[in-house]
Amino acid sequence: MLNNLLIIPNTAIFSNQTNNLKSYFSIQIKIAARKFLDFGVHPVLGVLLILVGFIAFSEYLFHQISFAAYLFAFVSLTFTSALSAQKRNDFLQLCFPEKRYKSVRTIENTLASLPFVIFLVYKQNLLVAVILLFISLLFAWSNFRTNFNFTLPTPFYKKPFEFIVGFRKTILLLIGACFIEFIALSVNNFNLGIFALAIVFLIVLTFYTTPENEIFVWNFIVSPTKFLLSKIKIALFFSSLLSLPFVATLVSFYPEKYLIILATWLIGFMLIITVILAKYAAYPSEMNLPEGIVIALGLSFPPLLLIFAPYFYFKAIQKLKPYLP
Amino acid sequence: MIEIKNLCKSFGNKQVLNNINIQFEHGKVYGIVGENGAGKTTLFRCIAGLEDFEGEIQATKTPLKNHLGLLFTDPFFFPKLTGKEYIQLLCNAREIDLGDIEARNVFDLPLNQYASTYSTGMKKKLAITAILLQENDYFILDEPFNGVDIQSNIIITEIIQKLKELEKVVLISSHIFSTLSATCDEIHLLKDGQIIRSVEKPEFDMLENEMKEIVMENRIDRLGLK
Repeated sequence: MLNNLLIIPNTAIFSNQTNNLKSYFSIQIKIAARKFLDFGVHPVLGVLLILVGFIAFSEYLFHQISFAAYLFAFVSLTFTSALSAQKRNDFLQLCFPEKRYKSVRTIENTLASLPFVIFLVYKQNLLVAVILLFISLLFAWSNFRTNFNFTLPTPFYKKPFEFIVGFRKTILLLIGACFIEFIALSVNNFNLGIFALAIVFLIVLTFYTTPENEIFVWNFIVSPTKFLLSKIKIALFFSSLLSLPFVATLVSFYPEKYLIILATWLIGFMLIITVILAKYAAYPSEMNLPEGIVIALGLSFPPLLLIFAPYFYFKAIQKLKPYLP
Repeated sequence: MIEIKNLCKSFGNKQVLNNINIQFEHGKVYGIVGENGAGKTTLFRCIAGLEDFEGEIQATKTPLKNHLGLLFTDPFFFPKLTGKEYIQLLCNAREIDLGDIEARNVFDLPLNQYASTYSTGMKKKLAITAILLQENDYFILDEPFNGVDIQSNIIITEIIQKLKELEKVVLISSHIFSTLSATCDEIHLLKDGQIIRSVEKPEFDMLENEMKEIVMENRIDRLGLK
């Protein structure tokens, strides 16, 4: 069965109008199955893990935050908007006739938003669920084509490409985090404020999850140790810059809870250090299941990060040696 | 100088480079030609230290990789990184302080636009600019003329001549023979992982004709065009 999953039929079938949508979606399933296998997980187990993770995270979110429904809808729309990317849609439009293309996009966006809609209905947020479904369908009929030529300025000029690229890619999420912080302060919800701060760190972590092309490591003329230290130094400096407004406002609004705020900040920094080291411990491959499990463990019990970070450090040094002898 | 002795490289059972012995001198431009899959890129990657290999690669300036400008056939660009930031990134990695980048923008590239939105030729010109500004002593240019307009072709040819005057070591691979004969002092023909022919300038025409014969055989006749 697994072997069948891995055989992708000739993509030329898309040009044949008599073929139904089934072929397209069966290929999507095969691609997803391959991604799970690349990650070292059986596809069925992977789907189960995601399902359990989704339910657990959603329950936690709704339990902790009073505005969880809006946040939930925002996360869902982030996923569905990614499906409207220009190149992807250009490709689909070349493959399918107009009507079939619209059907594909409608089904895709409905499927992508369905788990969120179902959970919102379960949590009796019917209005948000309906609006979410409606916007998702609107996205299905729109193509995010950008004809304007605008370069988003960043405060990170010169040094770290991770922050320049990451900041531009996640600017909407960062604005979202600011919005959540604003809501937290206006409704006097400290937990929501801490959540916004955590989002900033999670966003920064995404800057470091994908390994860069080897030429961008090879070009450096420093030792692996210096390379790693400089990456960590830059990451800590700029993540402080990004998170400082959140920390400052939280401390000024909740001075009595400064210890919790500082602890969150510290854990965020530790996580960033661990992820950078884990990234280069797997380099030039992507981080895989072992690194994922270790980071997840660290997230659930942060003191473990103090053990994992040195482990990844020594592994990273070995992995970087061929590029930085 | 770069000296390669008994260089061998295999990927599994497939021997890609087989006992390469060659020397590249300062102030000279070398062309490496061969069919697709002949081993040119693997040779370049070995010189750059991006592949493990058997044999020896030595250079006068060590470590070689810290003085090497490497242009791949298809350079990689991060999305959402401008041309200027790309140059800055590569020069920072070599601890080079650039000063005014715009003044050194010889290809008139739109450096404040995202590099990933550039055309193929513009990307190549950006990558060339970056490795030139790194102040390297050795250059490996894998297909530097690919996708580049005629004006830029002329500029690249002149740049290579300038590098030669500056006593740099330049290795070029190209599928366009005329560009090699215009720029190179020596051309080496790589086939099945071995250098089967090395010629100097006066013999370039002869090598081109030989290659034509080897490549063409009776292929066109086999098409049976009527």
